[in-house]
Amino acid sequence: MVVDLDKCTGCQACVVACQAENNIPINTKDYFLQRRAYEWIRIERYWEGEYPNVKARFMPVLCQHCENAPCEPVCPVYATYHNEEGLNVQVYNRCVGTRYCINNCPYQVRMFNYWHPNWPHRMENQLNPDVTVRSRGITEKCTFCVQRIRRGEIQVEARAGQRLDDNRIAAGNYDPACVQACPTSALMFGDLNEPNTAIKPYFDDVNNYPGHHEHERETRGYRLLEEMNTRPSVIYLKKVDQYPLADKGAH
Amino acid sequence: MKLTRRNFLAWAGIAATGAIACDLFDDELRVQSPVDIPEDLVSGRDNWYATYDASVPGGQGILVRVMEGRAKKVRGNPRFPTNQGKQSPAADAILQSLYHPDRIAGPMLRNGPRGAGQFRPISWEEALNRFNAAVAERGDRMLLITEPRPGAFARICDSFADAFGGRHLAFDTVDDSAYRHAVKDIMGSDGQPYHDIANAETLVSFGSDFLSTWGNPTAYSVAYGKFRSGHRGRHVHFDPRYSMTAANADKWLPIAPGAEGYAALALAWTLIEMGLAEGDVARLTNGQGAAALNAFRPDAVAGALQIPDAALDGATVAQFFAELASKLAHGGLAMGGGGAAGAYSNGRFNASAALALNYLLGNVGQPGGLLPAPDTPIPGGIDARPAPLSDWQGVASDIAAGATRLVIVHNADPVYGLPARVGLADALSNEAVAIISASPFIDETTAMADLLIPDRAALESWGDDLPDPMPGHTVYAVQQPVVNPLSDLDPRSFPDVLLNAAADLGQGASMPADSHEALIRSNIEDELGADFTEALQNGGWWNENSAGSAPPPASGLLANVAALAAPAAANGTGEFQLLPYPHHTVLDGRNAHLPWAQSTPDPITTVVWQTWVDINEQQGRRMGLREGDVVQITGPNGSITALVYLNPGMPPGIAAVPMGGGRRSGSAYATDRDARESSNVMSILAAAQVDGSGGLAWSGNRCSITPAGDSMAVAKLEGDYTSREIGEHSAELVFKSVSEEGSH
Repeated sequence: MVVDLDKCTGCQACVVACQAENNIPINTKDYFLQRRAYEWIRIERYWEGEYPNVKARFMPVLCQHCENAPCEPVCPVYATYHNEEGLNVQVYNRCVGTRYCINNCPYQVRMFNYWHPNWPHRMENQLNPDVTVRSRGITEKCTFCVQRIRRGEIQVEARAGQRLDDNRIAAGNYDPACVQACPTSALMFGDLNEPNTAIKPYFDDVNNYPGHHEHERETRGYRLLEEMNTRPSVIYLKKVDQYPLADKGAH
Repeated sequence: MKLTRRNFLAWAGIAATGAIACDLFDDELRVQSPVDIPEDLVSGRDNWYATYDASVPGGQGILVRVMEGRAKKVRGNPRFPTNQGKQSPAADAILQSLYHPDRIAGPMLRNGPRGAGQFRPISWEEALNRFNAAVAERGDRMLLITEPRPGAFARICDSFADAFGGRHLAFDTVDDSAYRHAVKDIMGSDGQPYHDIANAETLVSFGSDFLSTWGNPTAYSVAYGKFRSGHRGRHVHFDPRYSMTAANADKWLPIAPGAEGYAALALAWTLIEMGLAEGDVARLTNGQGAAALNAFRPDAVAGALQIPDAALDGATVAQFFAELASKLAHGGLAMGGGGAAGAYSNGRFNASAALALNYLLGNVGQPGGLLPAPDTPIPGGIDARPAPLSDWQGVASDIAAGATRLVIVHNADPVYGLPARVGLADALSNEAVAIISASPFIDETTAMADLLIPDRAALESWGDDLPDPMPGHTVYAVQQPVVNPLSDLDPRSFPDVLLNAAADLGQGASMPADSHEALIRSNIEDELGADFTEALQNGGWWNENSAGSAPPPASGLLANVAALAAPAAANGTGEFQLLPYPHHTVLDGRNAHLPWAQSTPDPITTVVWQTWVDINEQQGRRMGLREGDVVQITGPNGSITALVYLNPGMPPGIAAVPMGGGRRSGSAYATDRDARESSNVMSILAAAQVDGSGGLAWSGNRCSITPAGDSMAVAKLEGDYTSREIGEHSAELVFKSVSEEGSH
C-alpha cells in the first residue's frame, strides 16, 4: 500500500469503511476513554507550529504488514505469521490472548478484544459474512481486507472455470475497503508480485535508496519508523509544503 | 460444545472442505484447509445494487452489497458523476439507519402528554383513517415540513399541499439561503454552481468548509485529490475558524469573522490593479477599473481583515495579496462564501464577492473554473430548496394565529434545528395543532407528534434527486429499494401514503402519478427518454454534454457587489465569537442516532460522542481552562454547557462548537449523554436574519465563556501524548514533509 500524505484530508472515510467491512464493534464512548477503541485504520492528527502558523497533519496508520514484523516472533502459538503473499496474518482461532504482539508492535495497530463483541438488535444483519466476528480475549488487526482478495480470486476462478494464476486478478478487484472509499485517492493498493502494478515504482524508489534523504525529497517515499528496520509493506509519500513552517515546534 | 448458529456454520464449512478434497468441483472451488485463516472460508453469493444516498451533503451515488436479502456494505458508485466511486465518511452509516434498533416499527398513536414521547402501536388501517380525517378536516391549514429533496418527492409533496390548500416547506438546519440568493442574483440559477477544483491551478477559498460539509464534500474531495496530483495546485483559504478545509489548505489565513467578502474584493482590486484580470474588467466595473474597488485596497481593508502579521511570512497584506493575485492569474478559481461565510448579517456580500471574483478571473464556464448549474431535466425541478429563517418565523406566528392547524413532518427536525427564540417548539405545544410525523426515528419534532406513520428507510425506498451542485452537467440520481423491511418492521412509503390519501379524498387527479415509483419511472422514460432498467443499474441518468450556461455578468457586477459591503453585525455580547459548524459526520444532528457517525473522530480534535468547544490553546490557558473543563457558553438566547478542547489552531476570540449534540428525544445513541457533554448550540443563537436573504445568521453571534466548576474526561482518539499515538516518537520522525522545491 502507498499512502500519499499530500492527498489525505483526514476525512475518516477509510476509518468508517473499514469498520463496516470488517465487523468491528461499535466504539462506545467508554472504549475511547479507556483507550481501547477498535480502529484497524486510524487517522492520527499531529500539530505542528503555533498559532497562526499552525498545521494539523493527518496521517492514516494501519498495520504495516512488515516483512520483519516484530509481532510475529513473539507469538507463542504462531497465531500471527507471514503468508506467502506477504500479508501479516492473524489466525483468530489460534490466538490465546497473550498480547505479546501488541506490546511488540511499534505502530500500535493491534487491538485486543477486551469485551465480547456486541451488536444491538437488528444491526447484526449488516455483518459481513466473509469476516469472522472476533470473540473476547483475542487480538485483531488490519488484514488488508484479505476476504476481498479471496473473493476476487474465487470469483475470477469461477468465471474462468480454472485455477487462478498469478497475474489474472485485475488490480482494483481486490482493493481494501479503505482504499476503495478514500475520496482523494490518497490510499493506493496493489500486488507487488505483479510487475506492472501502479504502486511498484514507489517501492522501487524507497528500496533502492533507503535512508537517502536527498533522494527522498524527490520521490517523497519513506517508511514509517524506518530506523526500526521492520520493512513495512506500506510506504508513505511526504506532504508537500508550499508554505513551510519556519519553526515546526512539533507536538 | 454448544451448537450455536455460528459454529454450526463453521462446522458446515469444514464439512464442505472435506467434500472438495474428493476432487469434486475442482474447477470452481479452491481446496481449503481448516487451519487456514477463517477469511478463506467464503460462502454465499453477493449482489451489488446501485442506488442513491441523499442523507449526506450533496448526495452520493452508492452501490449496496446485498446477500440473502440483507444489506451488508455500501461503497461509492464508480459510474456516478459526482462521487465517482468514492464515499463520504457517513456513507456506511446508512446501513445503521436501516438496521437501527430504535426504528419506529409501525404506526403509533400518542397516549401521553404532547412531547412526552409516549406512543402506542395501532394498525395501518386506523393510522391512515386518522391521517385522511386530519387532512380532510384541516387540509387548508396544513403545513407539510420535509427534508429538502427535489425531484419526484418534492413534486408529490407540493401537489399534495396544493391540492388541499396547504403549504410545503423544506427544512435544513444549516441555512445557506444567502449563498443561494447570491447565486440567483449573479448567475441566474436556482442550483449551485460547481467549482472545478480538479482542473484549477490555484484555489482561493473563503470560509466554506467544502472538504467537510459544504456543497458536495465527497465530490470536492475527489477533485481535491486530482488537484494535488501531477501539477500540484496551490490552495489558500481565508477562514475565521480552523476548519478541516483550513487544515488542508497550503496556506490558511485567519481573518475576522464575516470579513470573507472584504478579502475577496481586496483580491479583486489587486488583480485589476496589477493588470492580471482575465475577465471583462470594463464591464464588471462600469469602466471604472480598480477605482470601483478603491475602498477594498488591501491596505485599506487590512484593519477589517485582522490577519495576524505572523501569518503573512514577513510580507504586508498588500504584498501577500499581490503574490496571491499573480498565482491566481493563471488557472485561478475562487470558492466559498457560502456555509459559515454566508451566515453573517453580511453573508450575501461574502457569497457575492466570492462568486464575482470568478468573473474577474474569467473562469466562468471554463475548465478549472466556476461551472454554472445546468437546467433541470425533469418537471418540478429544483423547487424544494430549504426555506429561510424568515419563513419559519412566519410559521410560528401562523400557528399562534390559528392559520396552521395541521403539521405533517417528514425527516426534518425544526424543533431541534431552529434557534429556540423562533418559538416553534412553543407554538407546536398548542394542542389545537395536530402533528403527524412520517420520520422513521423519534427526534425532537417527532416526539411532539400525535400520530406516527413511519416511512421506509432509504435502502427500502424509491427516490430520486437532482444533486446540488451538479458536476457541471445534468445528473438525475435514482434511488431504488435494495432490501425489504425486516419482518418485525412495518413502515410504509410516505410519498405513497400521500398519493393514496389524495386519491381517497377525491384529489387523485391533482397528483402527478399513482405511485412514487411510477413518477420516477415516468421521469426516466417520458422526460429523459431513457431506459428505466438501465437507469436503475447505473444509479441514475446523466448527460455529460449538457453543461449549464450563465448569462453574461451584470454590467458593473463588481461595483454592485461592493455596494453590498457592510461589516458583520454581532448578536449578543461576550468576548468570543460563537461559530457553530456542522459536525463532520453527525452533520446538523440528523445522524446523531447513528453509532458510526458518533464514534468517528472529528478530524481536527479527534473527539467522539461529545459536544466540545474549540478555544485557542494559549487563550484557554490564560483563562485557567484545561481540557475537559465544563464551561457555560452564554449566547444571545440562553446558555449551554460543553467540554473545553484547547485547540492550537483556533484563533483567539473564537468559540467553535459543533452542531448535532444535545438531542433529548429518541435513540439512546443520541440522548444518553447529559447536558455537560452533549448540547445543542443552535438553541442559543439569536433569531437574526442575513441581510437581504431572510436566512439565519448562524455565524453572527457573540458569547461569553465561564467555567461551570466541573470537568469530565474528553473521549477522543488522540492519546495522552498530546496529538500523537505512536508511542513516544517525535512527530517529525513520523510525519514528514518536503518543501515545494524539493517535490516531484
